[in-house]
Order: sequence, then C-alpha cells, then structure tokens
Amino acid sequence: MAESPVIQIDELSKIYTVTEREAGLVAAMRSLVKRKTRDVRAVDGISFSVSEGEIVGFLGPNGAGKTTTLKMLSGLLYPTSGRATVLGFRPWERNRDYLRRMTLVMGQRNQLVWDIPVIDTFELNRAVYRIPEAEYTRTVGVLTELLELAPLLRKPTRNLSLGERMKCEIAAALLHRPWVLFLDEPTIGLDVTMQRRIRQFIAEYNQRTGATVLLTSHYMADVEALCKRVIVIHHGKLLYDGDLSGLADRFAPFKTVEVELQNGAGGRPLDRYGEVLVQSEGRITLRVPKVETATVTGRLLAELDVVDLTVQDPPIEDVIEQVFSQPDGATSHLPGTVADAPFDSQKQ
Amino acid sequence: MTAFFSIYKGYFRTALAIQFQYRIAMLIWLLGGIIEPLMYLVVWRTVAQQQGGAVGDYAVNDFVVYYIAMMLVNHGTFTWIMWEYDHRIRMGQFSALLLKPIHPIHSDIADNIGYKFLTLTVLGPTAALLAWFFNATWQPDLWTLAAFVPVLFLAFLMRFFWEWTLAMLAFWTTRVDAINQAYFVIVLFFSGRLAPLDLFPQVVQSVAAILPFRWMLAFPVELLLGRLTPGELLIGIGAQLFWLIAGYLSLQLIYRAGIRRYAAFGA
Amino acid sequence: MRYFRLFATYLRLGVLGELEYRANFWINLLQSLLELGVALGGLAVVFTHTDNLGGWQPDELLALVGVYFLIGGLIRTLIRPSMSKFMEDVRQGTLDFTLTKPADAQVLVSIQRVEIWRMVDVLIAIPVLSTALLRLGAQLGPAETLTFAVTLLSGSLIIYSFLLMLSTCAFWFVRVENIQVIFMSMWQAGRWPVSIYPAWLRAVLTFLVPVAFATTVPASAVSGRITTATLFGSIALAAALLLVSRWFWRLGIRFYSGASA
Repeated sequence: MAESPVIQIDELSKIYTVTEREAGLVAAMRSLVKRKTRDVRAVDGISFSVSEGEIVGFLGPNGAGKTTTLKMLSGLLYPTSGRATVLGFRPWERNRDYLRRMTLVMGQRNQLVWDIPVIDTFELNRAVYRIPEAEYTRTVGVLTELLELAPLLRKPTRNLSLGERMKCEIAAALLHRPWVLFLDEPTIGLDVTMQRRIRQFIAEYNQRTGATVLLTSHYMADVEALCKRVIVIHHGKLLYDGDLSGLADRFAPFKTVEVELQNGAGGRPLDRYGEVLVQSEGRITLRVPKVETATVTGRLLAELDVVDLTVQDPPIEDVIEQVFSQPDGATSHLPGTVADAPFDSQKQ
Repeated sequence: MTAFFSIYKGYFRTALAIQFQYRIAMLIWLLGGIIEPLMYLVVWRTVAQQQGGAVGDYAVNDFVVYYIAMMLVNHGTFTWIMWEYDHRIRMGQFSALLLKPIHPIHSDIADNIGYKFLTLTVLGPTAALLAWFFNATWQPDLWTLAAFVPVLFLAFLMRFFWEWTLAMLAFWTTRVDAINQAYFVIVLFFSGRLAPLDLFPQVVQSVAAILPFRWMLAFPVELLLGRLTPGELLIGIGAQLFWLIAGYLSLQLIYRAGIRRYAAFGA
Repeated sequence: MRYFRLFATYLRLGVLGELEYRANFWINLLQSLLELGVALGGLAVVFTHTDNLGGWQPDELLALVGVYFLIGGLIRTLIRPSMSKFMEDVRQGTLDFTLTKPADAQVLVSIQRVEIWRMVDVLIAIPVLSTALLRLGAQLGPAETLTFAVTLLSGSLIIYSFLLMLSTCAFWFVRVENIQVIFMSMWQAGRWPVSIYPAWLRAVLTFLVPVAFATTVPASAVSGRITTATLFGSIALAAALLLVSRWFWRLGIRFYSGASA
C-alpha cells in the first residue's frame, strides 16, 4: 500500500513516576507522610511505522516497554511525549470510531465474564459494539469454525481450560471485526499444541481480513511463524526494526559450525578453530566469528577427517538472549545496533 | 512457645507495614467501627431524654458510656477474616498460605492485633472525644478493670475462632457475602449492639444468654460499666471458656474438612 | 436509548449469572428478612420504651424503614455490585477492556453488574411502605405522589453520584473496596430520622455522606413534613453531584491513563 501507514509512531515516550519504599516499620511510618518517588522511563523515544496488513512481532524482555507501548496505541495510556497515529486517530483521544476498529487481547487478563456462558459475553460485546445481527451471526460462525469453539460456547467461562479460555477471549475480541489487533502475549501459558492453533488462527485472520497485527510474545516460535518483521525494544529504546532473518546478522556476529569427524577428535585441540560449544563422540559444535566462517571451514576440511559439516545461524532464541543479556547501556555498542549503524528499518 | 513468639514478632512487623501501606483502608474500617455504636448511642440517648432521663435502669449517661465501651470492645474483638477468605479462595491465594509450614491462622491473628494496636491511636482519642462531647461520667471499680483484661482477651479469641470458622465456608460456597451479612445481623441483635440486652423482652435475653455473641460484646461492656456482680463475672467467664473451646474444636473440624475439599477441587 | 438496551443486556446477564447461584436467592431473602427483623425489632424495642422518637410516630418511622429498604435495594442490586466490579477491574487491570470499548466508560461501569436477587430488598420494601401508608391514612394526592417520586429519584441519583465518586478513588488508592463497607455502615444511620442526631452528625449525614437525602427526605415527603426548600435543595444537590461525579470520574480516567501525571 502506498498510502500512509496504519500505525505511525514518532519519538513516543512514557515516563512513570513510581513510589518507592524501603522495608521496615520506620520507613513505613515515613511513607505515611511523604512518599519517595522516582521516574522510570518505560518507553524512551521510539519511532516506527506499520503498514496495512502487516504482522509485526514486538520483542523485548519483561519490562522493556512493550506493554506500555501497546497500551498507548490502544488508547489506555497517555504518552509523556511524542506522537502516534493509528488508522489516522490519536489513540488516547479514544474516539469511538477508533475503538470500534481496533482490539486489544491480553493473554494474562480476561474480559470474559466469569460466571456466564461464553456466548453471553459475546452477546454483551455485540451490544457494546452495536454489531448488526446478521454480521454478528456470520462472524460468530466464522470464528467458531476457525477456532473450533462450538463445544465451548455454552459453557461458563470458569469451566474452561486456559487454552479454551484464550480461544474464546480472542474470539470475543474479534467480534466487531477490528482492522488493527494488538495482541499482548496471546499464547502465554498455553501448551505447544494450543500455541500452534492460536498462531495458525492469527495468520488466517490476517490473511482473510487484511488486518494489521502488532504482537508481543515470549515464544520465539510465535514470532518465527507469524512475523516477517520484528521490532526489538530494550530498556524502552528501539534496538532493531527489520526482517526477522536480519536479526541474527545484526546481533550475532557468529555462526555455528557443526562437524562430524571420522575418528573423533582424537585428542587434537579443537579450540583453535573456534569456541567449542558441544562435543560428544564424533560430533562437535563450534562457534565461529562470522567473518572467519569460510577460513575455518576450509581449515576443518583440510586438516580433519570430516564426514559431515553444516554452517548455521544460531537459533533465534540464542540471538535474542544475547541481545538482552547485555548489561544496561552496553547494547548500544554492539556492532550493528541503531546507535552506530544507519537506521534502515525498511531495507527490503 | 518461644518459636511462636519470634514468628509472631515477624508477623507483627509485616502486618504493621502492610497496614501503613493501605492507610486509607485502615481509616475506612475504623470509621465503620465508630458510626454504628454512635448511631445507637444517639437513638437511645434521645429516647432516654424523652422519657425523663432514663430507660429501664439505664440513665442517659449510662447509654453514652455503654456505647463508647461497646465501640472499644467491638474494636478489640472484630475481624474481617470472612471477606479476606472469600477473596483468598476466589483469587487462588490460599494455596500460597498452605505452603507455609505454619497454620495460616497465626498470621491472621497477628495481622488483626497489629491493626488494632495501630488504630487504637485513633479510636482512643475518638472515644475520649465522644465522652467529652456527650458529657460522659464513668467511675470504674478497680477489680472490674482488672477483670476486663482477661475477659476482653477471651472475647477476642472466641470471636476470632468463630469467625475464622465461618470464613471457612468460603471453601464450600462461592459467594459468602450473604452469609457474612446474615451473621452480622444476628450478632447485632444478640450481642447488645442494637440495645442493651436488659431492654429487650425476656425471651430475647434468654436466647442471647445461650448464644455466644453476648459473651463476645455485651458481657465485657457490662463489666466495664460496673453492672456485673463477681458471681455474674464468673458465670460469664465460664460461658466464654465454653464457647472458646467449642469454637476451637469446630475450627479444627471445619478447617480440616475445608482443606480436604480444597485439595479435591483445587484452586 | 442504546444504553437502555445495554442495560437490558446486563440485566439479562445478571439473571443468567445469578441463576447459576440459585441458593443465593434464599440466602438473600433470609438476609433481607433478618435485616428487616433488625430494623423492625429496633423500632419495637425503642417503642416499648417511648411513644415517639424525636417527634416521629411509629408509623412514620415504618415508612422511613420502607424507603430505607427501597433505596438500599437499588444500591445493592445495581450500584454496589457494579462499583465492586469496577474497583476489582482497576486492581486486576481488566478495566482496560472496558476502556477500549466504544461506549461511555462511566455508563458501562455503572451498569455492568446486576445482582438480581438483591431485589428482594425492594420486594420487602413495598409491603412495609404500603403498610405504613395505610396506617398513616395518608391521603396521597398527585402532588404528594409526585413529590415522593421526585425525592426518591433525586435521592437515588445523589447516592449513585456519591458512590461513584468514592469508587473513582480506586484510581489513586488500592483496596478502596472497603469504602463500600463503610458506606453501608453509614447507610444504616439512615434507618433513623437524621433529626435525632446531634447537629454535627446531622451535617455529616446530610452533606458529607448524603444519606439523609435518600432516606429521611423521601420519608418526610410521605408523612407530609417536607418543606419546599428541602425538596428543591434535594433536586439541586442531585444535579450538582451528577456533574461533580462526572467531572471526578473523568479526572480519574485521565489519571489512570497518565494524562495528568
């Protein structure tokens, strides 16, 4: 689409003022009179844009500012500074027309009414969103089919398993056919099968409706399956915005080389080829700086009895972990981070 | 015993800290404990004034002292544990308590006592203020004051045991709110909070004597007012001990059954 | 109009939800009867020792008890459950779902839970009130009926606005649900005519916690002792509190979304 992007964020920041209290009775007494406060920069000047129909993975460790950003985009939080528009609306003005076009799913929280059957919560949302009868019936039909809800709809929410509840939560959030979906950890706590079902559904929904999806998840499998593009934030700052496949190039200046040797290592020191990650029987996994990959594989093939050799990017989990395990402030010195590389989110 | 002492010390510290954190809630409960006795104080004072200064053998001043004492005794003995348990079980917080290597009642008792000592700093002056405002005069005997301490302590324990027992109903029913309120209504009626029990018909007085509630509230209050003979004091303490033991036993029983049920149904 | 439809939906859900807990009907009935027992018992004990209370005859106090139960029923059926749910939502963070709905959040929050069995209070109020009126032999002409209806309505609105403001504090403080407990204990004071209370307490019950406007004022309309000033004061206060509570609610929402921080 050549038109303006669905989500557009410029220099968005959110600073929380939190109260602090030390342990102990004296401190408790003191806090009765005056509470110490401290500013926390939850989101610190991030900018990005998302085009119509994209599914973007929003990554970062706990407390990175993902949820805060989602809350600002869904109109629940005012930013401290910066601009954001979604579908041409400023989210925190909470325009009715905007609210009718977007939805927020939080994996850790329920909107289904606990004591009544699921279908009745749907009815409630129908009334709140003023969905016409025919459209409602059709949407419920489609969602029921896609998510296999038929046996669940008549059950009270409290009798559902976690996974079943999540499916119904998602359905309840989509009854009004939103154009923009904010999904905050939609698969959290679910088993692998259920995670896959939800994932498939999101992809299917995106394909059918062309809705724009911004998704946070701790499960890299979700991200790998759904998102071509990821945005990584850490300590409220944007670290990376681009292709998922580019993430490894950027943050992992290593490749893993796996070799299988004819007669085992035979006591030869292998660490002169690279860092030995795993060594068992004749199989050895080495971590090799990316620039030396060609040289090292050449030497391995020349000097050892190699049966098999593969070169791989490290698993995405490891890459992510490596990014986030950097001490505070150190991230900006990684090669290829926003700090010293030109910002090229739309590189493809 | 010393082990319990140190555990309680720890509980008190955290209980106090928590109360400070929830300072608003603290004030709210406190205010609630002041309003009700004040209301009945005013009603009965009005009646006594209209009747030429006394109702039965309660003079205007007696009502004032009665309800100020009632306010203090009720403060000393009340619990909010039934709401707390309803919340704990519905929110699945109870499992965490079960994991601790100590009966959960201890932290509740410590919490309760901690709250009370803290709020006494407000309730004490309030009582004094009301006494001044309504021109209360009160000359207690020394022996009643001495007896009041153990009597109040017994009243606290028996009320705690019974209300903790009642709180356990949360294991069986999901909405204990109604039961709690029904309980409070019964207590109101038979504990002497609605009116001094002497002013009720004989039937009500007899029923009140059989039920435990009188011994939680009216009995300590009447003791403070100097309306009891040493013989009546002993009978009262006997009744308190009886209900205390009965409360303890029913607590044990229902707690075990509750845990079994909780284990069967899960959080 | 659409909010009426919404309310109807919530009402239906309330019935459905409560049908799951049918035993609650009996418990509520029991509880309401017990409370009526306390109210009537209290009156009975008082009136065995006197023939009027601060100038109010027994039957006039019975009418007061009727009004007390009527408005109390409304509070317990709709206002209190909705406000409880709201405060719980604030604590659990599920209020976010309400705020992302394309409807007025205050209205949604105010009608979101109906505890249908609590209506027994209203059912109890009707015979009590009727008995009182019959025994008073009050000639309820159209003017009196209208006055009564108006004072009841403005009393309800005053209580609603007041509870909404109390609940809105949940945005700033944790554990404010206890505020309702305190309100209900203040509310009891409305079972007696506020005129018997000492001046400072009367002021508290009239202006700080506007119990008097919901109980004593409508009851005095029935027993024909209401003044024009009180009537219009009640209407004016209802209007003012509605506006103030609306303003306070928006302030709370702004705080919640960090707009004013």
